[in-house]
Amino acid sequence: MASFLATPREWPRVLTGHVDALAANPADLDAAVRAGAFDGLRKAVRDLGATGTIATIAASGLRGRGGAGMPTGAKWRAASAQPADQRYVVGNGYGADPAVHTDHALLSSDPYAVIEGLVVAAFATGATQAILAVRADDAALVTMLEGAVLAAEEAGFAGEDVLGTGHAVYLAVRPVQGAYMLGEETVLLKALEGKRGQPEQMPPYPTERGLFDRPTVVNSIQTLAAVPWICREGGSAYAAIGAKASPGTALVQLRGPAGGGIAEVPLGTPLRDLVKLAGGPGPRPLKAVLVGGPTGGLLPAELLDTPYEFDALRSAGAHVGSGSVVIADDRTCVVDLARLLTRFSADNACGKSIPCRIGLRRLYEIGDRIAGGRPKPTDATLLGDLAHDITASGLCDHERLATLPFTSGMRYFRSEIDDHILRSTCPAGVCQPIAVAAGAAHRDPA
Amino acid sequence: MSTIPGMGMVRGMGLTLRRFFAPKATIQWPEVHADVAPKFRGRLQLLYDEYGTLKCETCFQCAQACPIECIDMGGMDTKGRFHVHWGPPETYGERREESAVRRSGRPVADHAFTRFEAIDLAPLDAILEAHDYDPRDMLAILEETQAAYGHLPVAALRHISRVTGAWYAMIYGTATYYRHLRFEPPAVTDAPPAGAAQRELEDAYRSALDTALGLGGRPS
Ligand SMILES: Cc1cc2nc3c(=O)[nH]c(=O)nc-3n(C[C@H](O)[C@H](O)[C@H](O)COP(=O)(O)O)c2cc1C
Ligand code: SF4
Ligand code: FES
Repeated sequence: MASFLATPREWPRVLTGHVDALAANPADLDAAVRAGAFDGLRKAVRDLGATGTIATIAASGLRGRGGAGMPTGAKWRAASAQPADQRYVVGNGYGADPAVHTDHALLSSDPYAVIEGLVVAAFATGATQAILAVRADDAALVTMLEGAVLAAEEAGFAGEDVLGTGHAVYLAVRPVQGAYMLGEETVLLKALEGKRGQPEQMPPYPTERGLFDRPTVVNSIQTLAAVPWICREGGSAYAAIGAKASPGTALVQLRGPAGGGIAEVPLGTPLRDLVKLAGGPGPRPLKAVLVGGPTGGLLPAELLDTPYEFDALRSAGAHVGSGSVVIADDRTCVVDLARLLTRFSADNACGKSIPCRIGLRRLYEIGDRIAGGRPKPTDATLLGDLAHDITASGLCDHERLATLPFTSGMRYFRSEIDDHILRSTCPAGVCQPIAVAAGAAHRDPA
Repeated sequence: MSTIPGMGMVRGMGLTLRRFFAPKATIQWPEVHADVAPKFRGRLQLLYDEYGTLKCETCFQCAQACPIECIDMGGMDTKGRFHVHWGPPETYGERREESAVRRSGRPVADHAFTRFEAIDLAPLDAILEAHDYDPRDMLAILEETQAAYGHLPVAALRHISRVTGAWYAMIYGTATYYRHLRFEPPAVTDAPPAGAAQRELEDAYRSALDTALGLGGRPS
């Protein structure tokens, strides 16, 4: 059972609202129904109808929680408008970032919210097949989800006749594993087709040509879990939560010197409050927050008032990404951290696009050179040029975003990078064998 | 050496004339397509440009695509800067091994012939039948085949290709991509389950991140 961090009482709980009621057994369908599960589905199929449901989701302003923040209503509308003999809905529960456990927490504490969201999405877009793709690692969770799907079908919430309306929505749980890139939607679809996992150029988007070339809605399971609440409470109620252009709440994985955990926060919450939720920066001064996971951006302490929200983060040089917010204090070296993240991105590149496969490798090699004490005077320029070229020739978002650790580092911590390149010092005292700046060698021996 | 002056030229003209009247091998592509086997990929050859430098961009596209992971890049760039491959100079076999481990996290065992040995196909046939010989279930078929045999024997992949109609190269491409699939039996009997390859990578990332943050290996 996953536990969530306690948040201020006035923060709405859209995604974790049923967690306490289901604490004893999250797969208990009766307890879930008593708590209000499938009320949203009932409202969608009885009162709203397919187009009404899409209109409600569009009115709520819900944006995809998978990272990019695509408007969900528009995505569903595009899929339903596409003529086809078959449509699919795929719940993306892969959770690619190894340091983020929000998908697991959500699925293991309230599986019916995701299942209900899937059925609503399938109903609204006219899909008869809905697939819940999850990590294969946790066999117990997969079994639990399969049981939950079966229970929902037996109770008539899914299957050949959803709530007596004659609509069929068949659900399947598909465990996937074996590659970081499976989180990316076109790669996930490739895996579900039994193929090598490499992304496809978009457009055409999956809503036009997706699984087995049929229109397909791929939504993060966090996006889907918000859908029942929106159907139940109405689009405007959801639009009233959080930031204006990014309404609603999101699960955030916090990590810092003083602890961390998963919290449901309204979008638009300043980063400062998220740092506070994670227990603050600890005894040392905060240096940066890494927002967005391995492809995230490093934001300095001066930007702690940035709202945690899609657009503000993007313009600050970070992104919502995997929903991870990591607090770094002055023991962290920006170059060291950026090269680690870039190396992870390079190691996990699928190999299809050359600037991604080779460019990212070259990028972390520059980082290695800088950290290793043998930088070239031009390395800062080279770093910037290369990052720009990689981003500009991106095939998938992985490639377009994987340069963020370095580009945000260059933007906000340029003097620290210059210290490495021009003065052979690492202010944080991390990089070797560079001469350590006097007075800054305070790294704990642990 | 010919002693008759001009004989070389006559011979040359003779060859020209013979070729001139011989049937041509030119194919009017794209109107006409040559009849080649589907797995034909052209001849593997490194070309030089007009200045005599290799045209290879060391983009690693070929190494990445090579199904048996026998291609890798090695050497220095034109300015004598970096080694383009990731290890000391070594024999072809060593490089192939190292390249495979680096790129796919799996060694290529040198049991070049044993891997082609015939196997008992009964368990595989049961798996294929359960999936209705549908190539769209390829990942599940491969996972179950690995569960039945402990790894993916070449004979099994060939059989899968034959009965599902999917190209062997496509199956191989799928199987090499996912880290939990493997082509040789684990070297030790208590080897970790196949899925551990990806998990190891993720654990390494988590602990490296913590180290970079100065947090040590504290559990999250
Ligand atoms: C490298 C990479 C990894 C991704 N990982 C995930 C993931 O783990 N979970 C997820 O829901 N979306 C992930 N995405 C985003 C998906 O491609 C896709 O946009 C998302 O599932 C769509 O759902 P949404 O509209 O609800 O956000 C990833 C994207 C990229 C480029
Ligand atoms: S590395 Fe790239 S450029 Fe070089 S031979 Fe292979 S595919 Fe061609
Ligand atoms: S991850 Fe496939 S090309 Fe970058």
